[in-house]
Amino acid sequence: MNPTLKLAVIVLIALEVSFTQVWAVNVALIVIGLIILLVAHIRLRTLLWLTVVPLFFASALVWSLMLRGNATSHFLIVLFTRMFVYVYLGATFTQTTAPLELTRSLEQNAKLPSKFAYGFLAAFNLFPKIRAEVATVRAAALMRGQVLHVWSPQLYFKVILTAMTWSEQLADAMTSHGYVEGAPRTYALTIPLKPRDWVYFTGSLVLVQVGLFLGLP
Amino acid sequence: MATVTIQNLTYAPTHQAPVLRDLTATFSGGRFSLLTGPSGSGKTTLLRFIAGLTPLPTTAQITFDGQTLADQQPTQRSRTVALLFQEPSTQFTMNTVANELRFALENQQVAPADMAAKITAALDFVGIANLRDRSLMQLSGGEQQKVALAIIVAMDSDVILLDEPFASIDPATRQTLLTRLVQLCHDRNKTIILADHDLSGYAKWVDHLTVLHNGQLTTLSATATQERLSAFTPERLQLTHVQLPDATTKSCLQGHQFGLTRNDRVLIRPQDLPLLTHKLTLITGPNGSGKSTFFRALVRLGTYQGTLTYQGKDIHRLRRRAYARHVSLMFQAATAQFLNVTVAEELALSQKYGNTTYFTPDRIQAALDQLNLTGRDQQIIYSLSSGQQKKLQLLCMLIMAPDVLLLDEPLKGLDLQSVQAALELLTTTQRALHLTLVMISHQLGGLNDYVDYHLALTHQQFVYQEATS
Repeated sequence: MNPTLKLAVIVLIALEVSFTQVWAVNVALIVIGLIILLVAHIRLRTLLWLTVVPLFFASALVWSLMLRGNATSHFLIVLFTRMFVYVYLGATFTQTTAPLELTRSLEQNAKLPSKFAYGFLAAFNLFPKIRAEVATVRAAALMRGQVLHVWSPQLYFKVILTAMTWSEQLADAMTSHGYVEGAPRTYALTIPLKPRDWVYFTGSLVLVQVGLFLGLP
Repeated sequence: MATVTIQNLTYAPTHQAPVLRDLTATFSGGRFSLLTGPSGSGKTTLLRFIAGLTPLPTTAQITFDGQTLADQQPTQRSRTVALLFQEPSTQFTMNTVANELRFALENQQVAPADMAAKITAALDFVGIANLRDRSLMQLSGGEQQKVALAIIVAMDSDVILLDEPFASIDPATRQTLLTRLVQLCHDRNKTIILADHDLSGYAKWVDHLTVLHNGQLTTLSATATQERLSAFTPERLQLTHVQLPDATTKSCLQGHQFGLTRNDRVLIRPQDLPLLTHKLTLITGPNGSGKSTFFRALVRLGTYQGTLTYQGKDIHRLRRRAYARHVSLMFQAATAQFLNVTVAEELALSQKYGNTTYFTPDRIQAALDQLNLTGRDQQIIYSLSSGQQKKLQLLCMLIMAPDVLLLDEPLKGLDLQSVQAALELLTTTQRALHLTLVMISHQLGGLNDYVDYHLALTHQQFVYQEATS
């Protein structure tokens, strides 16, 4: 499916699920998400992480609401399943879409200015570098007798400073390879926007509407 | 073929002396120009101006066959001029070689149907067709520079600028790249301006050497050029006091079958390696050979093969926090070391957690005087010059007084007087506190009196060296 439409449909469904309380639809979305993930050959470890982490938070939330508060069991089930809907839907997107494909699609199909499209791509490529940088800053601090925790503002001050240097380097790299902001470009690979994509897009939205309509009290 | 003309270019970084003074020069089209000058003389600055990466001051003008970059269609600028960076890994936007080439061609509005042929031709020209689908981050520095050159070939830029492109690559790759560049110049009439301070291997190709000194460019005559090129020998290391470690020399940090690989490339083949206690050991080796990576492994910032022990214990079994205070690294980039904002705060932090009481306020004041850093207490670290940052960094790490201090290029960018002061401070502190110092340095002047052992990294092996005579 076209990456931009895929992103749009997932965001729209997530929004709808946030404002409605039909647990059957939630469960259906979880099952569909799971099927897509399995078809996309998700690694078992990733799937386990995607299940255990929301399970912890969802359980904690439901448990605390059960102890204090007068939420109905229906509402609790909705909350519990909603958490998984978010995580699994998000994962179906990230597991089946390469960042570069999304960048190209946003630039070509959504007519997003190339500056933002490539900015997004750069940010994505920066993640492993940021992790390495955080490790360096923490090591540097330990050598000075200071322990920086994940919540220490000093850690972020340093990382942001470094990221600023990187952003300048990246801007230079883009310029030196001929990128000019706002200038027209050609596309080496065209990301197609087929009628079939629109069918999937509207089809899934309609299905969710029907489900929600039937499930509403 | 395009002739580059620079007119009245003056440039001074904020609060600093001018680097370029009313510079006017011409680089003729289709020629290979070699630009040289001491480090910090402004070679990079000049190339960035020519490449259009830094906006020109209003009084100056740079033209290519009479046309400024601003006169041209934005998409045509990369056909006119392109710059190959000194640091290989920072010049790419995309993930793979082919995608980066596509990105560059898209920017030039090349029709998608023509791209594949152009990409293949460019990769073949540089001889790296096998790298086409490799991830850029997985390539070695030399391979990255080859890719960067292939991109310039694909973009078909008229003027090719290279900023010390061989700084981090091995001699064989250097030779390949140089041959390709000369071919571009002779067969395709490209104008090439290459900045380098290592002048070896150019005598065959360069008629007139261009020297950047005191903000001005001078072109040497053919004879003066040949004289200078043939007389050039890379700065030689004279270490007359170093000795080979004998069996009785104690070592506190030790590698057992220690080996390093990065991105499928072997940096150090497994070997046993002792680092000697209470001594100053100098590590030398070509750029990119793995010296800094070795230091990072020693402070647990990277993976390695074999084991590393500190006082007989595997460093991965020691508590991270305690180990960091025993074995510390003075990073190559000074800013990586700092955690605060002002000079005074940074010194206070070191004093608070320092391992000894040797550094009293008086001693610190004396050290600041010695390093010419007095009166800068309230200054923001990031507004210091890089030399001042380096000296402050050294002082901060000495106040911490770890048992083993690893110094990665502590003298980089320091003038001769500062080098002397820094070495003086380093060795007095070492003697007083019995520190073990291990230093990587490309700056070799003035080290002879201080170095006890010399460890050279060549052909993927560390070997202790004898004294040179």
